[in-house]
Amino acid sequence: MLSGCEGVLSTVDPAGPAARIIATLWWVMLIGAAAIFGLVMVLLVLPFRARSVRDGEVMQVRVWIVGLGLIFPMAILAALLAYGLIVGERLLPRADADIVSVGAQGRRWAWTFTYDEVPGRTTQNNLHIPAGRPVDVAITTADVIHSFWVPRLAGKLDAIPGRSNVLRIEADAPGTYQGLSAEFSGAGYDRFTFTVTAHDAAGWQAFLKGQQP
Amino acid sequence: MTDILRILIAPLVWLAAFSSIYGLHGIICAHDVAGGTFGGAQPRAILVGAYGFAILMQVALIIVLYSQRLTSRSGFVRFVSRATGWVGLVATVWSLLPVVVTTYCL
Amino acid sequence: MKALERHRKLTAIWASESGFRGWFSTVNHNDLGRMFLVTAFFFFLVGGLLAMLIRAQLATPHSAFAGPEIYNQIFTMHGTIMMFLFAIPTFEGLAIYLLPKILGTRDLAFPRLTAYGYWCYAFGGSMLLVAMVFGIAPDGGWFMYPPLSGPIYSPGINTDFWLIGITFVEISAIAAAVEITVSILKYRAPGMSLDKMPIFAWYALITALMILTGFPPLILGSVLLEVERAFGFPFFQVELGGDSLLWQHLFWLFGHPEVYIIFLPAAGVISTVLPVMCRTTLLGYGWIVAAAVALAFLSFGLWVHHMFTTGIPHMGLAFFSAASTLVAVPTGVQIFAWIGTMWKGQPELRLPMLHIMGFFCTFVIGGLTGVMVAVVPFDWQAHDTAFITAHLHYVLFGGFVFPIFAGLYYWLPHFTGQRRFFRLGELAFGLVFVGFHVTFLAMHWVGLLGQRRRIPTYAPEDGWTAINLISSVGSFVLAIGIAMILIDVILHALTANRGLRNPWGAGTLEWAMITPAPAYNFASLPHVTSREPLADDPDLAVRLARGEGYLGTPRQDWRETLTVDVATGRPDMHVIYPANTRLPIIMSAITGVFFLSLLLKFYWTVPIAVVGVALLAWKWVWMLGRTDDLPPLPVGKGVVLETAAMSNRSPGWWGSVFLLTANATFFGSLLFGFAFLWTVAPGWPPPTWFVTSPLELGLGILGAVIGPIAMRRAINSNRRGGGALPGLFVALCGVLAVALACVAIMLRTPSPTEHAYGATLFVLGGYGLFHAALGALMVIFLWARVRRGFVSQTRQAELPIVGLWVSYLSAIGTLVLLAAHLPTLLS
Repeated sequence: MLSGCEGVLSTVDPAGPAARIIATLWWVMLIGAAAIFGLVMVLLVLPFRARSVRDGEVMQVRVWIVGLGLIFPMAILAALLAYGLIVGERLLPRADADIVSVGAQGRRWAWTFTYDEVPGRTTQNNLHIPAGRPVDVAITTADVIHSFWVPRLAGKLDAIPGRSNVLRIEADAPGTYQGLSAEFSGAGYDRFTFTVTAHDAAGWQAFLKGQQP
Repeated sequence: MTDILRILIAPLVWLAAFSSIYGLHGIICAHDVAGGTFGGAQPRAILVGAYGFAILMQVALIIVLYSQRLTSRSGFVRFVSRATGWVGLVATVWSLLPVVVTTYCL
Repeated sequence: MKALERHRKLTAIWASESGFRGWFSTVNHNDLGRMFLVTAFFFFLVGGLLAMLIRAQLATPHSAFAGPEIYNQIFTMHGTIMMFLFAIPTFEGLAIYLLPKILGTRDLAFPRLTAYGYWCYAFGGSMLLVAMVFGIAPDGGWFMYPPLSGPIYSPGINTDFWLIGITFVEISAIAAAVEITVSILKYRAPGMSLDKMPIFAWYALITALMILTGFPPLILGSVLLEVERAFGFPFFQVELGGDSLLWQHLFWLFGHPEVYIIFLPAAGVISTVLPVMCRTTLLGYGWIVAAAVALAFLSFGLWVHHMFTTGIPHMGLAFFSAASTLVAVPTGVQIFAWIGTMWKGQPELRLPMLHIMGFFCTFVIGGLTGVMVAVVPFDWQAHDTAFITAHLHYVLFGGFVFPIFAGLYYWLPHFTGQRRFFRLGELAFGLVFVGFHVTFLAMHWVGLLGQRRRIPTYAPEDGWTAINLISSVGSFVLAIGIAMILIDVILHALTANRGLRNPWGAGTLEWAMITPAPAYNFASLPHVTSREPLADDPDLAVRLARGEGYLGTPRQDWRETLTVDVATGRPDMHVIYPANTRLPIIMSAITGVFFLSLLLKFYWTVPIAVVGVALLAWKWVWMLGRTDDLPPLPVGKGVVLETAAMSNRSPGWWGSVFLLTANATFFGSLLFGFAFLWTVAPGWPPPTWFVTSPLELGLGILGAVIGPIAMRRAINSNRRGGGALPGLFVALCGVLAVALACVAIMLRTPSPTEHAYGATLFVLGGYGLFHAALGALMVIFLWARVRRGFVSQTRQAELPIVGLWVSYLSAIGTLVLLAAHLPTLLS
């Protein structure tokens, strides 16, 4: 991995399956975009040379408008759309026996996390999850719109008043991951962050029983 | 003015169909219609049916735009309105394809 | 008559008052176009200064430059000013100035409306400037999401400045859009059929139609949010049956078309300037028109891509992801048509062409990152980060600012009549281009490294410091470049260096006149037979000045023009414009009093302002028309035309059609909001429903039915020589019946402050009542016009106009009544 990609908040330094599939998508798109940009720049520069032979109008329309304007973009976009829809389907929180369910409530300026397996237990600003297992986070808000985002693990999902949005995250390995609230919410927004602690199996059991690891 | 309408009609019908099917999906998901009000039809079938209907409307528009009797007298308007007619059809097929291939209500 | 004598006579008729007093009474598109452009550029500089403050703040971590409260105002105002007070008004100014010239006519359709639009923009923009100066500017981000912008979390006046000030400015945009639409459809040179229209006119027409249908959802949202803040109607509060997502839908239903409203005119500039720079004609004119239409419609089906992270189900998101990728196709058709034009001709790197190259390089990058964020999973990472900030600046600066600079340098010889003397432009371009990319290219990367939008500062450990510092340095280079362009333009205007009339060798009509343009544009109007009239006939300017076209001989002191059939360009009506007047600025000032009263909560001046506007509007329309019949008038080349007053499809009728289109979109958005809350908002059904009254419903429907029928009777009776008054009286009764039924809804609706259902019904009833009152006022006005002799068997134009509004009232009145009564009627 390129060293410039590392960072506790980096989407291109994935630590979970969702973030990884999205990062791959990004690199594929970047390469494609760079190639298309290069092609367009070449096509822009070349006509400045003096040329004597030119195509007729019908041929020009066929090449530029039909070929490059219609067929070329539609082919690429169809492939890209298919890729994007497939990835989107893979990220959906489908039913699974192995899932851990937690709740995340955003409020200016703290996140309160609850754990379905341990009703009544809450933690502030630090979400505990088991590593290597899918976790469904039910995201809610007590006041304005917030957004739950742990860049190294998955994309973000908003906390909308009156709704509970479920985001599936998973950490490959135990560790601590940085999270951010990613919807502007007023004067304390820049410091509105949280952490995610992923435990190994033993540590997770210990957490559920109420012991500090 | 009818020439202007000929140019605008197919994309306008696409926009109406697109918004309606998006809304239809929203209503289905908000009220768990499957097996209820629509007499037991699966949500997927309802959505695909609406999709098919939207495509048929666009095909009908293209037929009208190409017909000798109803088409414009101006060659330019014929060209542009037929082009936007195809835009309507392609846009309908492309933008509403998810009713066939994606998970609904999740 | 010789050319010089003709010029003097026409100037005497068409000129505005001299000195700065002329600014307040001018209705001339040359003056108003320039006023729009200068004011818009002023706001560009203000927005640019705010950008400098943002970059100064973000240059270093833990910045103490500005605290978060002020910083939130800075970035909110930067976005708000650039989107509403710079970009749209620049389009308006360019269109207002340029369209009558390229269309070969004398002025736009409604000159006083142009002036009214300008002053609403100036006063509304000033409100926001005042807010900034006093440190009470809006601070919720330029899209002002509730509940953050709602009454609970933004209790101060800041948000109200945005909601009310921007609505005031939007009146200007709607006015300009109605004007531009009617002007392009009807006010062209004879012979200019649709396929011979200059391509910029097509783009402007499409843009104007987009404004008419794209702005009303935001106007509605702003009205609803302001009513929530001022009166406690909970449209966006989920605990009381509202939904904050409703704002997002309404905002982005506007917001996405808005960026294409910004791009399309710039594309029109490229389509005009590029072929001239390449000494050829545009490749694929018809394809480009179709692509622009496609782009306009597709852009209305993308709005949810701004809401990909709000929890909407995957199929819903997939529709918008698909549409968002598809929209790149008509964009690509245009881009490759332009490149094909370059290959077709022989491009020369003159100064406008430099900016066009800047456009290509920048906008293509912006379009490519746009396609990236159209893919939902990637957007789930990039949304609300600096990646999006970078993307939007690439498409907006690349897709709007560079083309506008190209157009600025292209038309500058036309504005000033001068030739370039100082050569600062090339250096300025270099600084702008380099400065822009240094500022924004690496910004994509810090977004992917986790830097969010709208944060006032960051920590050194985040690892974003180097890129932010480089970005800030780049922004200073960009600013210097823009300042250099400003200086270059001023120097150009100040140095007396008479230039050629058609320095670029272009073929469109704006170059067939004296430069700078005289107040009357063309001494006589051309007959057009191709898309490049000047290329076909290089002496056209001289021949028109000699009076060889239409309307070459001024009659009395009339400001004359003619209209044409929409499709064929055959002349159909003779029009006499109103002269200089201060009515528009006074009307705009009273409108400002209305908005200011709402803002400052002086509710007792609100009805006074409303009455003031109504009286001024009465006078506005009363000033037109005659009490005697004019015969059809010769306009030159053997053509004789009836006057607009004799037509049942007069310019006022066309203006009403398009204003009602915007109005219908507003109402449609309100119905959408109602349906959305009902089906999707948590907290429904409401505790109580409106109890139907068959009597009220019947009365209202009856009124809605007889109103249009009575108007039709009045129109037909008048045309046959009988009286219109009986029909008008019955129509008035119908209108009043609808009004009563709407009042009943407003009085009997469940409490509007306790649940969004009651609030929505109250607003629906209020909308119906407003239009019934408007309809009644119009019918009474017509009655007075008939009594005073302004309406006759031949002078019939005013009747169908009121007929349109009464029909509209019937349609919306019926829907309002059904929306209120059906739920309990059916159960």
